[in-house]
Amino acid sequence: MPLDHRRLCGPEESQPPSLWAALAAEDEDEEGAGAAPRDPCSLRPLFARAGLLSQAQGSAYVELGSGTKVLCAAWGPREAAEPGPGRLLCEFRRAPFAGRGARGRPGGLAEREAEREAAAALREALEPAVRLGRYPRARLAVSALLLQDGGSALAAAVSAAALALADAGVEMYDLAVGCALCRPPAATAAAWMLQPAEPEERRAAARLTLALLPALNQVSAVLGGGQGGPPEDWAQALRLGLDGCHRQYPVLRQSLLRAAQRRDAAAAAAAAASVA
Amino acid sequence: MERWHRLAREVVEFPSLEIIKSHLDGSALVKLGSTTVICGVKAELAAPTADSANKGCIVPNVELPSLCSERFRSGPPGKEAQAVSQFIADVIENSQMIVKEDLCIANGKLAWVLYCDIICLDYDGNLLDASVFALLAALKNVQLPSVIINEETGLSEVNLKQKTPLIIRKHPVATSFAVFDDTVLVDPTAEEEDLATGTVTIVTDEDGRLCSVHKPGGSLLTGAKLQDCITRAITRHKEVKKLIDKVIKSIMPK
Repeated sequence: MPLDHRRLCGPEESQPPSLWAALAAEDEDEEGAGAAPRDPCSLRPLFARAGLLSQAQGSAYVELGSGTKVLCAAWGPREAAEPGPGRLLCEFRRAPFAGRGARGRPGGLAEREAEREAAAALREALEPAVRLGRYPRARLAVSALLLQDGGSALAAAVSAAALALADAGVEMYDLAVGCALCRPPAATAAAWMLQPAEPEERRAAARLTLALLPALNQVSAVLGGGQGGPPEDWAQALRLGLDGCHRQYPVLRQSLLRAAQRRDAAAAAAAAASVA
Repeated sequence: MERWHRLAREVVEFPSLEIIKSHLDGSALVKLGSTTVICGVKAELAAPTADSANKGCIVPNVELPSLCSERFRSGPPGKEAQAVSQFIADVIENSQMIVKEDLCIANGKLAWVLYCDIICLDYDGNLLDASVFALLAALKNVQLPSVIINEETGLSEVNLKQKTPLIIRKHPVATSFAVFDDTVLVDPTAEEEDLATGTVTIVTDEDGRLCSVHKPGGSLLTGAKLQDCITRAITRHKEVKKLIDKVIKSIMPK
């Protein structure tokens, strides 16, 4: 493996201790699977907060009940060299400690590929929501950081990125809300599940991530694959996903509203302090 | 010439987030004014190198993603990140915070490697101080599972249920100052750092001893001023140590 000169290197190879604790851990895993299956249409609790970073123009933090934590920052229009309509540049990063198993080497090839794919997916999901026509010759930047991966990471990132853009004051048609689904392997009851947790996602036979603009009721991105079954199943999965997005929408809107109120209160306090 | 010390920004430290505990061996989030830094520690097992057969390894990795500030670009670590990574590695080494021999499990065969990933979430100056606090707080939380090497099979057996806390010998705390020709300002914000003509970072440990003085070029500083900075750093150490102890106690399981 070529030496990464920009980072301090540790030993060439290292393994997580959980590899050798395999026996005990596997038993627990099996128990988890055999435990009462959760209601496939239930949405886990979602926490969203906008406007928390001081350096970025807009920011948002989304946390899902399964433990996925995504922080996103957005910057408004900056001049771009190339003529033409506005461009949206997306970036997706995973923290080295985000995954459950071994710590991936940051900067590794596989990691960069995955990040690039996720960034392209983010862009696909967000572009229809942003009024790029209003920003000719400009570029808007969005940067997402995944702090902990508990499943449905891309869906959470889409929601966080849309919130961050809105918080930055970028003109948008609507917020893009992301929702993920997965279908467990055919042995068990093969119903699609909303917002899978990380173990469920790992064992899934098929995965799907949707991005929806709820107020306009338009789907901006559908990404997924696997062995899903007949087309009617996929259509049913889509419907389930769209429903999930609609249910998350009020939470995201509330967080934007609260952020705006907080900003107003802070501005009023600052103005009063400077006058006094 | 007058020296102007204003109060350093308040350090707010959040105990390790409950949920991250399941993934990570140690974690901490530190806010120094607006500067926010998160540190995650993962402990893995590796074979020690031939020339230090009884030593483990600590690998700090500082990342400055583009979301923390406009001045950082996405991609591999830039100069700032590399400099801070090296500084953290030096602090760990100089302060003897963790003795590498403590990390060894079986001489020449197995040792712990602690990967400390420090990510800046919001950059408003004084990254060095915040990173050192976050690292210290995260390491204090680390619980290592017990590992025994089975004599017959030669394989290691890990017991995840039985954990012992990591032994931390010293508690280094960094205090940074910005130098503006004649005046010295403690805990500079990003704006102040940009305007400063030089910076000094002093790292002290709990016995009031100096671990390191980091002054990367910049304008001149008289000996007397440097001495004052060191005294200020020692006072700051006491305040920060109290805070860390309070937070660690609050998350200890009853």
